[in-house]
Amino acid sequence: MAQETQTRIRALATRRAFLTRFASGIFASLIVPAVASGVLDQVEAAPQEGAGPAPMPELPEGMNGQHPIERMLQDLQRALQKPVDQRRWAMVIDLRKCVGCYACTVACIAENKLPPGIAYRPVITETRGTYPNVSRRFIPRPCMQCENPPCVPVCPVRATWKRPDGIVVINYDQCIGCRYCITACPYAARSFDSGYFYSDFEGGLPQPYESLPSPEYGENRVRRKDTSPVGNVRKCHFCLHRIERGQLPACVLSCMGRATYFGDLNDPQSLVSELASRPNAFRLKEELGTEPKVFYLV
Amino acid sequence: MNRTEKILWGIALVGFLAGIAGLIQRFTGGHTVAAYGTYVPWGLWVAVYTTLVGISIGSFLIAALGEGARIRALQPLTRIALLTAFAALAGGLLAIWLDLGHPLRFWKLFLSTNPTSIMGWMAWFYTAYGILLLVLIYLQWARPTSPLLRLLFGLGLALAVIFGGAEGALFGVVSAQALWESALVPIRFLIEGAASGMALVLFLAILLGYLEPESGRFLRWTLLGLLLTVAVLEWSEYSTTIYAGIPTKVESLRVVLFGPFWWVFWIFQIGLGLVAPIILLAFLGERKVWLGTAGGLIAFTSLSAKLNLVIPALVVPELEGLRMAFTGPGLSFDYFPTLSEWLLAVWVVSVAALIFLAAYRLLPAEQARHA
Repeated sequence: MAQETQTRIRALATRRAFLTRFASGIFASLIVPAVASGVLDQVEAAPQEGAGPAPMPELPEGMNGQHPIERMLQDLQRALQKPVDQRRWAMVIDLRKCVGCYACTVACIAENKLPPGIAYRPVITETRGTYPNVSRRFIPRPCMQCENPPCVPVCPVRATWKRPDGIVVINYDQCIGCRYCITACPYAARSFDSGYFYSDFEGGLPQPYESLPSPEYGENRVRRKDTSPVGNVRKCHFCLHRIERGQLPACVLSCMGRATYFGDLNDPQSLVSELASRPNAFRLKEELGTEPKVFYLV
Repeated sequence: MNRTEKILWGIALVGFLAGIAGLIQRFTGGHTVAAYGTYVPWGLWVAVYTTLVGISIGSFLIAALGEGARIRALQPLTRIALLTAFAALAGGLLAIWLDLGHPLRFWKLFLSTNPTSIMGWMAWFYTAYGILLLVLIYLQWARPTSPLLRLLFGLGLALAVIFGGAEGALFGVVSAQALWESALVPIRFLIEGAASGMALVLFLAILLGYLEPESGRFLRWTLLGLLLTVAVLEWSEYSTTIYAGIPTKVESLRVVLFGPFWWVFWIFQIGLGLVAPIILLAFLGERKVWLGTAGGLIAFTSLSAKLNLVIPALVVPELEGLRMAFTGPGLSFDYFPTLSEWLLAVWVVSVAALIFLAAYRLLPAEQARHA
């Protein structure tokens, strides 16, 4: 009996050790590429004038090929060397890899300090079929950054436009809040900032995190009642402020399934160019002729 | 001031005072007091704005046809039509001004006009039309024999037709909203606006007691023709939509016909706004009381047609599954105006009514017929 118990304890210890090592291995494989490529540092560190891109350390043994984050960062840095009108930012979302964790939605809200009721990147859940043949897929929906954006020509005061690099932006100080552009977007990718604060639902006292400046468009605005962006239309801008610092959009970095890719579509060497040209790539509502620059892989 | 005028003043003042609560809430609570938001960005105030602008165009058409096109039967109504047109325009612009996220930035519409935006053009159209109305009001009362009058009325007639249609084009060009995207929408706006404005002038002229029989007859048959045109246009739009079966458009139409607010369509828009007035005008229009009732029904139910255009298009999600993708204030595809929205709408309409009544008091509306 005692011998049997000893054997069980040894077996348990061995199994524990195995699981511990296994879990550590998985954790390491998740965190090491980010650490290795300097991603975590970049979130905090401001860009240094004159300092070139940090050298890419070697990846751990056993990881075949280049890590997508590393490759996207290289693509990004290569694109930033070009004049702005020669870049064409695009996103590719692999629906087979998206697990519907909403990390991208949350990361976007945290990055841009979004108020209640505004999400630049909601994730749509789509269920198909009937039991037992049922499938579910998750479709993140950022702004499509259309090549022919229907939201731009309708703006009566030229408060929104497509930049030379293809990103559709809004000038908060110019926007009069007529919301015509919201009605014109076939993807419902524009939001109206009605002026809600989290504190409205939490006792009325301003929450400290609501006083943090939003880095959107590099303006560092602190959101207050009756001043922009309250009363404005808001939208995803591919984290333009991060891109210009040589960083990937928050949704791309936070994607734990590595389902979202970002880069320059004008660069044939870029990862997004490679993925977007695959036969299994499609875009939402292509029949409208808006030419979205968000591609989905199925 | 006669008894009818006193009653009208009373109603307008009650509406004005009650509506102040909505105005205060709008200024203190911003847009959080409203039910519209991200998914349904336009609501009651936009519908009120389009209704009042339509009424303004229709009223002006009476004056422009009477003085510009020399239709004698309409000439006795020129002055009351001008005042109605001005008051309705003021109310409509007030409604849309309060609907803006940043009302104090309205001047950007003039200094940064986007030439590709119909809304940008509309700002200039409204300005030109408003100035024209003021000049015409001045000339009509101060220099009624001025040769400029006919020229300006002629110009105004063209302007009213163009921007009456442009008002509808503001919706018709939005390809993202299937229910709006139609070449019939600008025409519907023009015809519906003409009907509602003419009907209101008819109603007011009868109520205030100086409708001449000839004017009554002319408006009776004109309104009947306009209503039948509206019926044909609506039938064309809805029947082709159902037959074509484009899912989002059919879904929006289903909301109009059989959604939770089906009664707005069947009772107000069709029953009281179309069928009843057609019957009254066709069979009982000889008597002023029925003529006035028909006019009132057309004018006061005209909001229902605009509500049924603006909102049902927006309550159908652009992407399947968006309804549940993320939740929060403003992220709803269900829309019903809040009390604040209703109160502010009442206030805006009351302001328009008070402008009319004040102008009517200050400027005598009786007018000699042209030789």
